[in-house]
Amino acid sequence: MSTAKVNKESKKRRWRVSRRGFLIGLGATGVGLALGVRFGVPAFRLQVAGMFAGENTMGGIEAPPNLWFEIGADNKVVMYMPKVEMGQGVHTALAQIAAEELEVAWEQVEVRQAPTDHGWGNDGGTAGSTSVSGLYGPLREAGATMRQMLLSAAAGQLGVAVSGLEAKEGAVYKRGESEPSLSYGEIAANVDSWEVPEEAPALKSVADFHTIGQAKGRVDFASKLTGEAIYGYDMRLPGMLYGAVARPPSWGSRLVKADVGTANEVDGVEMVVLEDGWAGVVATSRAAAQTAIRRLDLSWEEDIFQQEDIDEIVQVGNGRGVVIQKEGDVKAAFEAEDSYIAEYSSPVAVHAHLEGQAALVDVQADKVKAWVSTQFPSNTANAIAEFLGREPETVVVQGTYLGGGFGRKEGADVALEAARLSAKVGKPVHVGWTRTEEMRYGYFRPPTRHVMRGRVAADGKLLAMEHQQVSGPVAFGFVPKAMELVLGADFGAWRGAMIPYAIADKRTMTWLVELPFRTGWWRGLGLLANVFAVESFVDELAHQEGIDPLTLRLNNLPEGELGERYRRALEAVAEGVKWAEGPPAGRGRGLAICVDANTVVAMVADVAIVDNQIKVERIVTSVDPGLVINPDGCKAQTEGGILMGLSSTLFEEIRFKDGQAEAGNFDSYPLLTMKETPDVEVLLLSSGDRPFGMGEPPMGPVAAAVANAVFDLTGQRLRHLPLRL
Amino acid sequence: MQLTINGEIYEVAESPPRVLLWVLRDELGLTGTKYGCGAGICGSCTVHIDGEAVRSCITPVTDVVGKELTTIEGMARVTGDGSWQLHPVQQAFMDEQTPQCSWCMSGQMMTAAAFLAKNPNPTEDEIVEAMGENYCRCATYVRIKRAVAKAATLLQEEAS
Repeated sequence: MSTAKVNKESKKRRWRVSRRGFLIGLGATGVGLALGVRFGVPAFRLQVAGMFAGENTMGGIEAPPNLWFEIGADNKVVMYMPKVEMGQGVHTALAQIAAEELEVAWEQVEVRQAPTDHGWGNDGGTAGSTSVSGLYGPLREAGATMRQMLLSAAAGQLGVAVSGLEAKEGAVYKRGESEPSLSYGEIAANVDSWEVPEEAPALKSVADFHTIGQAKGRVDFASKLTGEAIYGYDMRLPGMLYGAVARPPSWGSRLVKADVGTANEVDGVEMVVLEDGWAGVVATSRAAAQTAIRRLDLSWEEDIFQQEDIDEIVQVGNGRGVVIQKEGDVKAAFEAEDSYIAEYSSPVAVHAHLEGQAALVDVQADKVKAWVSTQFPSNTANAIAEFLGREPETVVVQGTYLGGGFGRKEGADVALEAARLSAKVGKPVHVGWTRTEEMRYGYFRPPTRHVMRGRVAADGKLLAMEHQQVSGPVAFGFVPKAMELVLGADFGAWRGAMIPYAIADKRTMTWLVELPFRTGWWRGLGLLANVFAVESFVDELAHQEGIDPLTLRLNNLPEGELGERYRRALEAVAEGVKWAEGPPAGRGRGLAICVDANTVVAMVADVAIVDNQIKVERIVTSVDPGLVINPDGCKAQTEGGILMGLSSTLFEEIRFKDGQAEAGNFDSYPLLTMKETPDVEVLLLSSGDRPFGMGEPPMGPVAAAVANAVFDLTGQRLRHLPLRL
Repeated sequence: MQLTINGEIYEVAESPPRVLLWVLRDELGLTGTKYGCGAGICGSCTVHIDGEAVRSCITPVTDVVGKELTTIEGMARVTGDGSWQLHPVQQAFMDEQTPQCSWCMSGQMMTAAAFLAKNPNPTEDEIVEAMGENYCRCATYVRIKRAVAKAATLLQEEAS
């Protein structure tokens, strides 16, 4: 398949489909959209490219389209998607959106992951619950445009006016006839000149949708359930070798002396690479590579720290503080009357995606091919090019299925390791991280602390509230330094930190501290910790004045449309659990709510105490993600988000000793299992005509809902994650 | 030495000593069996050895010589007319739209199939007990539980 690059000619007939901002704060990213069509043999290609405001973010290289559809003579519609499938169902949801306007039958649709040489120079990464909301417009416009072009072509072929034709299920019908005149494949096979519409065709109204809003089955399951699906860790090539990399004994260690030791004596070792503070081995098997790494003679200069050092750093008032929300005057409000203060915290955590980082990279003389389990193929391609000193267009990354990402696979570390070793050895090299490597040498969810202060009137009116939170970096460290200055505060760290309620005097301030280990993206970013603090504290204020926590929230709803959506979500979940009746005997009940990626999530948890342990019995959640693309997909994301959040709420914590994470595998970092899984009920609310985020929002309220339930049952207020009695 | 996997004979080297998982994945290309922890904790690498669910990441390859191995690639069946048909456990996982990333699902389904072969009519508690040692980081546990119950029904229907 040839590259769908936008050349000078095609620019002349360029039609801007759309553009959208991506990953707010990441700056110069956008969605370019191209719709390339190849019609049978001989191949005919038509391109409709909408590019990023005429800018070129790729340093002089024409940015190729990031997405395109192909219709073959067999009437199959292949959709190449720029976003990676890591379990969130994005390939299915995006295909539903495109199929709706393109008017094709679901059975015709096949989805593939676009490689970077076909893809836009910046796919924006698959992160932040933005794929569906960001591509909703562009995909519909592209689909509608292609449909219009097919109708125009069919009109010519049939000798009738376009107005006398309609498209449905991948075919063109003369109006009023029940048999199709031409299939899309037939139309495409007989066109040698295409007309691009001057203007975007009208889009369908929500009421006319037949594919959007349906619980279509996931397009990736047939291959996944039979073991055929290929993930980054599964990639194989003839003649490939396996790489392993030496890891430091602690964060901050520097490799000061490296000698081959007895590594070369290990059977299967092909090459030992010692350079510039870095050591790696290439061998004919993973085991040989890993054994040889341990046989290297390495000297490290260590700079160790302890958990207590971290606890001391992560305090409100340390580092750089930025006010991110301010209404009224909290200072005056707190000086006037006594206020209530409480402090919360969350620990360091790992992502624990079950498929470790993995990349197979084949560095050749004139090009580089890489298959990577990555959330950010274009960024990975650029990182490889920069690292090897190659031209970016000579590096092609094929994103694979991901065995979980959760933010960790935004990084390019493993691809660079494989590229480095492949360049040395001249053969394809696969590097797959071990569980211990995943536990210790990636980037972590940063620890946080939160000081909440507030006042509530006896009638339940919130009078003043302040949230001061401190965190290690999330987005900072990934965005360019200049962007940090523009942004001021790390948007990842403060995600979910703002106080949504209508309060005259409120303020949120975020403090960013530097830590001696790397921190970064983790599903929801700061969401889980921040909502834990805000929504636990609102619960505390309610109990201060003896007010029902649901009533308190309903009495202080956010202003405007968000307030109405909050009300609806709260009322739905309250009705779902019969809130007024209270929890069953022996159980406590807690409520929490948040808005994230524009999606509103309200949650009620019921807990019991069994053998002096918190046992979550039931979680009922109402979710308003705007327009629902796939109700079953939304429910699946909600269930999974809640339970991953519950795992963090109850169990997960990384502690450091001598500069190293203590946990080295799941024996010391256990995850939630089916045994601790409560009954989960999801009440899906649909609103409006645009979809919002689904991958992360449901995680937001979990910790607060459970902590509030524990208080309801025991009177004990747990303010630190993971929750322990 | 020879291994019998999904009814086929594979010739593999006897040394060096190594675990079954990497022989399956890296030597034989049967990558449907997944690596998760390498310590027998998460269950992603579960295969059947003589019908028993076993964690291949801690099983020496020499232990399985002369035994019948089944991996996810051997779970679907060829029907009378030569077409492929999902195993009832796979079908149930499909029907319930169970996976998300699906990295753990081979192990989940192999665990479920071995369990249901012994206990064709399990209670909910028995399902939780049997499946309670398999991690799913996407946390699809609600659906895994439903799918195993559904698989039990499908298997019973098939048997009757």
